[in-house]
Amino acid sequence: MSGNLPATVPILELRQATKKYAGVPAIDSVDFELRTGEIHAIVGENGAGKSTLTKVMAGVVTLTSGQMLVEGREVDPRTPNEALQLGVAMVFQETSLVPTMTVAQNLYLGQEKYFNRLRGIYIAAQQFLQSLQFDVDPTAVVSLLGAAKKQMVEIARAVLHNAKVIIFDEPTASLTPEEKKYFFDLVYNLKARGVSVIFISHALEEALLVSDRITILRDGKHVVTDDKANFDRARIVQAMVGRDLSQTLYGQRKTTVRPQGKRVLSVQNLRMAAMVKNNSLSVFAGQITGVFGLVGSGRTETFKVVAGVIKRDFMHGGEVLLNDRPVRYFVPASAVRDGIVYVTEDRKIEGFFETQSIAGNLYLGLLAKLRGQRTLISKKEASDVGMHWIKRLAIRAIGQDVKAIELSGGNQQKLVIAKSLIQEPELIIFDEPTRGVDVGAITEIHQLINRLADEGKAVVVISSYLPEIMALSDRILVQRMGKVVEEYSALEATEEKIMYAAIH
Amino acid sequence: MIDALLDWRDRLLGRGDASITVPMFDGALKSNNILEEAPVFVALEAPEDLATDGRSLYVADGVTVLCYDVPAEGGEQRSPTEVQRFDRPVSALACLPSGGLAVALDGREVRIVGGAHDGRRWDAVGGTKLNAVNAISVTPDGRLLVTDGSLEHPVDHWRHDLMGLGRSGRLFELNPADGGARVLATGLAHAFGACAAGAEVWVSESWSHRVRAYAGGKLGRAVTDSLPGYPSRISPAEGGGFWLTCFALRTQLVEFVLREHAYRKRMLAEIEPQYWIAPALNSGNTFLEPMQGAQLKMMGVVKPWAPPRSYGLVIRLTDKGLVRYSLHSRFDGKHHGVVSAVECQGDLFVLAKGCRRILRLSVAGAERKLQT
Repeated sequence: MSGNLPATVPILELRQATKKYAGVPAIDSVDFELRTGEIHAIVGENGAGKSTLTKVMAGVVTLTSGQMLVEGREVDPRTPNEALQLGVAMVFQETSLVPTMTVAQNLYLGQEKYFNRLRGIYIAAQQFLQSLQFDVDPTAVVSLLGAAKKQMVEIARAVLHNAKVIIFDEPTASLTPEEKKYFFDLVYNLKARGVSVIFISHALEEALLVSDRITILRDGKHVVTDDKANFDRARIVQAMVGRDLSQTLYGQRKTTVRPQGKRVLSVQNLRMAAMVKNNSLSVFAGQITGVFGLVGSGRTETFKVVAGVIKRDFMHGGEVLLNDRPVRYFVPASAVRDGIVYVTEDRKIEGFFETQSIAGNLYLGLLAKLRGQRTLISKKEASDVGMHWIKRLAIRAIGQDVKAIELSGGNQQKLVIAKSLIQEPELIIFDEPTRGVDVGAITEIHQLINRLADEGKAVVVISSYLPEIMALSDRILVQRMGKVVEEYSALEATEEKIMYAAIH
Repeated sequence: MIDALLDWRDRLLGRGDASITVPMFDGALKSNNILEEAPVFVALEAPEDLATDGRSLYVADGVTVLCYDVPAEGGEQRSPTEVQRFDRPVSALACLPSGGLAVALDGREVRIVGGAHDGRRWDAVGGTKLNAVNAISVTPDGRLLVTDGSLEHPVDHWRHDLMGLGRSGRLFELNPADGGARVLATGLAHAFGACAAGAEVWVSESWSHRVRAYAGGKLGRAVTDSLPGYPSRISPAEGGGFWLTCFALRTQLVEFVLREHAYRKRMLAEIEPQYWIAPALNSGNTFLEPMQGAQLKMMGVVKPWAPPRSYGLVIRLTDKGLVRYSLHSRFDGKHHGVVSAVECQGDLFVLAKGCRRILRLSVAGAERKLQT
C-alpha cells in the first residue's frame, strides 16, 4: 500500500490543474500535493475553488487541463467510483446518502452479497459504527436522522471503503463539540493507519488544530501551502481574503446589548413528539435572541413549529402567541403572511429551487407573501426584485439569471436570506445562518443580521457555533433535551457557562 | 352553539383556553434575587399600601397611616409619626399634591384627610356602593384615580374573587375639588391599581394578567399583556416609566383549577380558603397547604424548579409599557406578596405584604446588579 512508497512521492498530486465551467475557471493552474499519512487542510473563501479542487480528486468532475497523479501514476478518474478504485474517497458537505434506506444499507450500498441478509449487515454495521464510537442506530432510516448523524454515516462509509485518501468537505459543520472530538480522534486514527486526509473547513481554528499542512486558495488560484506551524489565524485570513478580517469576524465580546422591545413571540409549553418537551420562551423586537443547544436539543424543531414547517402535538401541544395572539400554522405560507420567516439550516433541500434563477427564487418568495394578490406573474417585476436584492445583499453572481445551484455556498445563503426578507417579516428565524459559509460571507451575513435587529425586527439565531452565538446575541437561550434550560444576557454569558447549561 | 362546539373541541384537544399554559419568566422578566436581598426598611403589623410626597414615605398600616422620614443612605432612621388613625383598616392610600391624603377605608369609602379638601368623602360612585377599593393614585391635575376590585367580594377576599372568576372590577375618577365622581370602566377582571400615563390612564386587571389603557372615553389596548403574575398597583418611576407590582404568580395548577368549574365550585364550598389551590401572599406556613411544587422538599432542600404558591415581583415598565427589568424574591425567599412600590429620593420602597415588611433598595444599585 502507500506505506511502501518512498517518502518523497506524494500519494496524490495535481499539476497545473484547471477546471473551467462555461469558459470561466473555477480552479486555475493549481499545484497541489498530498503526502502519505498527512492531514492537509484546504481553506479559502466561498468560490475560492476548494470544492472544485476536491471534486476533481474524487472523480466528480474532470480537469479541463492539467494532470492528476496518484502514487506517482497519472490518472483521470471520471466517476467517484473510479476514484474510489484508486483509493480516493470523498465525504460530501451535503450528504449523498439514500434517504429511504437504513444506515446499514447505506454503508454497504454497492457491496451487497447475492443473497443479502439485512440482519447480517445490521450486525456488521453495528460493530463497525461502535468501533468508530459513532452513536448511530444502523437500523434507522437515514431520512429520519439529523444532520450530524447523517454526516457520521458519510464518514463511516468512507472509512469502510478502506480509502487511501479521504476528503472531508466541511465535516464538522453540523457536529456538536463532543462529536467533533470523536471526529478528530477518528482523523488522527486514520492518519496513524497511513491514510491521508484532506480537510476543508471554514472553522480556521479546526484547520490549525488538526492539520499538518495548510493550503490556501483564493479566486481559484493557489496562494500558499505551508506547515501548520508557520501559520496563525491572522495569516490564514489575510491569505484567504487578501484583507484583514480578524477584527470583524465574530467580533469582540459584546459590551452593550440592545434593549428589549415588545414581546413578539411567546412559546408556552410547546410539545412536539419526543423532540420538544414543554418548551417555553419569548422573543422580543429589536433584539437578537441566540438559541444554543447540542444537536437533538429541539432548537430547530421548536422554531419550525413556530414557522409552520412542522406541526406541534395534536393534543395538548401548548401555545404559540404572536403579538399576544394565539396562532397555529399548518403551512409556512400562513406564517409568512403573519410576518414570520424561517431561514432554513438545510438550504439545498428547503431553501431554494436550485434550477431556478436568482430572480425566480426571489420572486417566489414575494409571491408567497402576496398570495391571491397576483393573478399573473410579471417577468419585469421578477427582474426588478432580483436586481434590487442582488445589489442590497451583495450577492456575487454573473447576473440575476444565474441558477441558484451555480452560486457558492455563501451566496446561496444570501439568496435564501433575501428570499425571506422580501416578505418583510417581523420575526426572522435564522437556523445555522453561516453553516458552510466562508469567512467573508460570514461577516456580511452577521452585519445583515445585526442590521435587522437595529431596524427593530425580532431576530432569532440558532447556531451550534458558540463564537457566533456570543458575537451576535443580545440574549442567549440554552436548550437541552427539548426545552430552554437557561437564559443569559450577552454581558454575563461565557462559553463555559453556556456549554455547561447545554450539557448538564 | 358554535362556540360551545369549539369550546368542547378545545377541551378535548387541550387547545385555546384549555391549553393551560403560563408565560415564562424570560427576557427582562428573568428572575434574580434582588428583592429578596433588599434591606428591610421596617417590619409592621398590617401594612397595606405605600404613598410618597417626594420627601417622606406614608404607610397604611392597619387602621393607622404612618409617616417615615427618608434618611439618606446610611443615615439614622427616626421613629415614624402617626398621621391619622381611623375606625376601619385603610385599604388604599395616596398623597395629594396640594397636601393631605386620600385614603380608602375597608374598601367601602374614600376619604380626603388634611389639605384643602379635608373631610371630602365618597361611599358610592355611579349609584353603586364602593365595595373593595384597593388603590388610589393622583393625576397631575389633582383628580383621583380609584380602582374597586370587586362588587361581589370585600377587599380582603381577593382569592374568593379570583376563584369565583370575578369580573366586576371598576375604575373611576374622583374630583376632590368639587366632589364629582365618574365611572371610567366597569366589568374589569379585578381592577387593582391605576396610574395616569400621559393622556391615558393605565389600569391593572389582575385576573386577566394585563395592564390596559383607558383613553378617549373607553378601555382600549393592553399596555402589557400575558404577564406571568397577577398585576397590582402602578406608580411612576423617577427616571421615567412606571413600577408595577405583582402580588402572586400564575401557575399551571391554579389555571387548571380555574378551568375545572365543578372542582372549583366544590373547593369553594367545602375547603377553608387558606387551603384552596389558589395563589397566596405567603406560603409554607402549614403542611395543610396544598403542595404546589415549590414546596416539595427533597433531602431537606426545596426544589428550585417548581412553580411557587407565593412570590415577590416588581416590574419596571417603560413609558410605553414595555418591561425594562424586574426585581424578584423567588420561591424560597421571604419577600413575597408585593402589593405596592413607590420611589422616593432615588430609592425604591417595596411593600411585601406576605411578610409584612417594607424593603428599601437603591434603584441605581439594582440596575447595576442587573448589568452584571
